[in-house]
Amino acid sequence: MNCTRMRQVLDAWIDGELDAATSTEIDRHLAECPACLALKGERGALRRELRANAPRFEAPPALRAAILARIEQTTLPAPAPARHRQWLQTAAFASIAAAVGLVAGLWIERPLPDDSLREHLVASHVASLTDPQRLITVVSTNQHVVKPWLQGKIDFAPVVRDLSADGYTLLGARLDHVGDRQTVAIVYRKRNHVINLFAWRAADYTAEALALQSARGFGMATWADSGLRYAAISDIERTDLEQFARLMQP
Amino acid sequence: MHDPAKRARFESTVLAHLDAAYNLARWLTGDTPAADDAVQEACLRAFRFFDTHSGTSAKAWFMAVVRNTCFDLLKERNRYDRHESFDDEIHGLPAAERDAPDAAAGRNADAARVRACIAGLPAEYREVIVLRELEEMSYKEISAIVDVPIGTVMSRLSRGRDLLQKTMQDTGARRQS
Repeated sequence: MNCTRMRQVLDAWIDGELDAATSTEIDRHLAECPACLALKGERGALRRELRANAPRFEAPPALRAAILARIEQTTLPAPAPARHRQWLQTAAFASIAAAVGLVAGLWIERPLPDDSLREHLVASHVASLTDPQRLITVVSTNQHVVKPWLQGKIDFAPVVRDLSADGYTLLGARLDHVGDRQTVAIVYRKRNHVINLFAWRAADYTAEALALQSARGFGMATWADSGLRYAAISDIERTDLEQFARLMQP
Repeated sequence: MHDPAKRARFESTVLAHLDAAYNLARWLTGDTPAADDAVQEACLRAFRFFDTHSGTSAKAWFMAVVRNTCFDLLKERNRYDRHESFDDEIHGLPAAERDAPDAAAGRNADAARVRACIAGLPAEYREVIVLRELEEMSYKEISAIVDVPIGTVMSRLSRGRDLLQKTMQDTGARRQS
């Protein structure tokens, strides 16, 4: 790899979009090229500054209600102007036809074996986002408060870790249901994105390796350990969700 | 009247991404009322065409509808008003921060500067930066939303970051001198 090529792929590499072979070449080049290493450092600083200082604007609570009210009002849809239909078709087509050539990683667009389980988890994640009251029942950034609170409510003991050193702030926890199962959701935040970590009893699952997938536009990481299953859901960057899940592993 | 099942599906697959949609609209249109209008309009359009969408990612499809609605709205606005009214708004601070002038004034100044630098980017770079850095979406998803090949997403992000880095250095230097 030379410097010209390096500059073409550096951003994609920082974004975790390159295959392992190219990444190895990049590592090798960075080890011997101070100029490119400096550029990499600048990009890192830029990202930190953007994420610290550029807000992710949240939809005002009234917006959702206004949208639902307007949808309710629309009786039968009037035929749309042709240009709208055209770009909608283009958009729909683009989302199907989008060429993939860069990513090889762990992320596979396929459903979990248990579709309805996945649906329930995503629905619960979404409900918790739209209703902040529902998001957290016990508010605490301290794992030593959250854990005992859980112990009084459920008959299993999910892992609650302090990951603040890695940028994941513990916000608290709530009890929830996935289908007919009692679950607990432990809530973390990284930057402006919420992560719901669900845990529930599944006696058959003594151990299950970490798996990552997409569900309705959210990332989902699942694993099992000692008769408990876990699912972490968020719209956080996927490499971060993977890191989060790895930090949670036994 | 509408099919309640369709509405429920729409809520769970499309409205689930309302925060992402709003954030994109807020950065593209530059002010709160316009973002509000654009997202409402986009949701009505999306609901109308919801049944015809058949891609793998409802989120990318919805975000594409939001993006296109924003550009339609901006085009319309520019027809009446040559001034881009969003500059004041986006260069200023959100109400909550304005109400607390003493609290973390330095941090607010930094935030306002970063925000102004992003707002100053041409739209084609601004949208990919927002989708990547704030929405944390993959190149594949961004490619579907912006409707360009992945290679173009890659080069726009790279160019966008070059521009941002430069303006942030320039404004930072001016602030310190």
